[in-house]
Amino acid sequence: MLERIIKEYNEAVFETDKDAAFEVVNAALANGLSAEDVVFKVVIPAVEEMMSDITRDPDANLAQHFMTAQIAAEVTEKMLLKFAHPPEIIGRVVIGTAAGDLHSLGKRIVMGCLKALMVEVLDLGVNVPAEKFVAEAVHYGADVIAISAMMVHTATGENGARKVRALLKEQGLEDKVKIVVGGAPYRFDNELYKTVGADGWAADGIAAGKMIVDLIRAGKTS
Amino acid sequence: MTPLDILVAAITGTAAPRIPVFCNLLDQGARELGMTQREYYRKGEHVAEGQLKMNRRFGHDNVWSLFYVGKEAEFFGCDNILYAEDGSPNVGDYVIKSWDDIAKLQVPADITAQPAWAETATCLKILREEVGATQPICAYLTASTSMPALLMGMDKWMELLMTGPADLRDHLLDLCSQFFQQEVAAYRAAGANVLVYSTPFGTHYFVGKKRFESFSMPWMKRDLAPGGVGGIVYYCGMAPFNEVIPAVMDELDIAIHYVSPLADLAEAKRIIESRRRQDGAAYLTCGVIDDIQLIKWTPDEVRAEVRRMCEIGKPGGHFLFGTGVMPMAIPEANIKVMLEAAFEYGALS
Repeated sequence: MLERIIKEYNEAVFETDKDAAFEVVNAALANGLSAEDVVFKVVIPAVEEMMSDITRDPDANLAQHFMTAQIAAEVTEKMLLKFAHPPEIIGRVVIGTAAGDLHSLGKRIVMGCLKALMVEVLDLGVNVPAEKFVAEAVHYGADVIAISAMMVHTATGENGARKVRALLKEQGLEDKVKIVVGGAPYRFDNELYKTVGADGWAADGIAAGKMIVDLIRAGKTS
Repeated sequence: MTPLDILVAAITGTAAPRIPVFCNLLDQGARELGMTQREYYRKGEHVAEGQLKMNRRFGHDNVWSLFYVGKEAEFFGCDNILYAEDGSPNVGDYVIKSWDDIAKLQVPADITAQPAWAETATCLKILREEVGATQPICAYLTASTSMPALLMGMDKWMELLMTGPADLRDHLLDLCSQFFQQEVAAYRAAGANVLVYSTPFGTHYFVGKKRFESFSMPWMKRDLAPGGVGGIVYYCGMAPFNEVIPAVMDELDIAIHYVSPLADLAEAKRIIESRRRQDGAAYLTCGVIDDIQLIKWTPDEVRAEVRRMCEIGKPGGHFLFGTGVMPMAIPEANIKVMLEAAFEYGALS
């Protein structure tokens, strides 16, 4: 039964059909699958499947990324209410777009993935000053600051990730809080993330979810 | 031959001394005139003067009438533009904050009577008078399927598109398409002759094949039908779109393609040529340099890339060398090296 559920859910997500995805989930619950199994055996593997699809299939597109993340986040949110015990949270992330940048799509995709991957996310919104990224990361106890920037000047300028790095250094937080970045300029220059002081980057929102989880896990074991 | 003659020769496949060389210098105009971005973009005279001065200094073939992309949102009531001194102005506040706002949205009956058009018209008038007879004048027009991103933000637009009520989505698209049809006519009437049709949803990078066919293509047809495709350049906001070129040529009849630096230029040229092989056909492959790399490339690396692109593009003709939106962080020396190399390797003698 589980195999069929996974197949039908993956098909619905691939087709960006949210209603069909929820129908699969509701039918699975009605047939006795636990909320925990829906999340850990259906939803998270589907996100991981999309990650590998993106690598294999150049036709995987932004609409699929967006819907994979949205469906995963919504299903997870609903299932968490039904969990017998609260799930183990992998870590915490504060996320926003860089100062001067209002492009919010990538941020939204990353947030959806992280929620489904059991990472708590605080959305700082758009056009976020570096000081706010750091202050909120400290207040929230974040492992990672995720900064999205779609324009060259917001990705590389002095008020974006560079300033966040400087503030972390100044406050002695570099060991506790990592910086990840994403957005179009980083796709055109894959080494750019280093020059702005980030610890990692991802080419798309779905891949960013996995990269952030890996970074959190590496930080907790080091 | 004038730059305009050279462009026409490249499109029609007739003899010319070199390929056309486009360089999209926009925000650099403020620096050129020693102004802040806000001051620079306040007046059409400034933008025209900036374009003309940069054009004289660098010697590229085209001038632009574009102020900044978010300007189109001003026609729908946006009055908050976020300026930066090191990059492009951005929409600072979206006019659609909730789906309810879509019902209140209106397309002006005559966009050329709007304050948002006045400075663009001034800019175009100056460009037309100064260089209209000799140089291509570019305009930037956002497709109906992408305009909602300027009005409500890309994530909210994606949400409405993918999960919202179809009638509301179509109403918004209808307004955006009406606006596009007016806008393209206004630009043509004002003297713009290279009309860059910015359509990120017209690529499989944004939407899959099925949605491209069922959603993007019908709306693009609707945008372009009344005015035709004369001077229209297919551009997907730097996203690769090689796989849709056959459909764009066959169904929309667009013959000029501004190929993404992330795409295989040789493949794009092959696809375009295979569709337009008959003698006398007008078409153009625009090879676009990765101008984010231009920020850090050495002069030798710049020259090598320009040479590589020209070697791919020149055989068989119908080729233009171009740039993306040229971030301000690109050193001026690299702009000069790039253009010198494009003229050298783009020679057709």
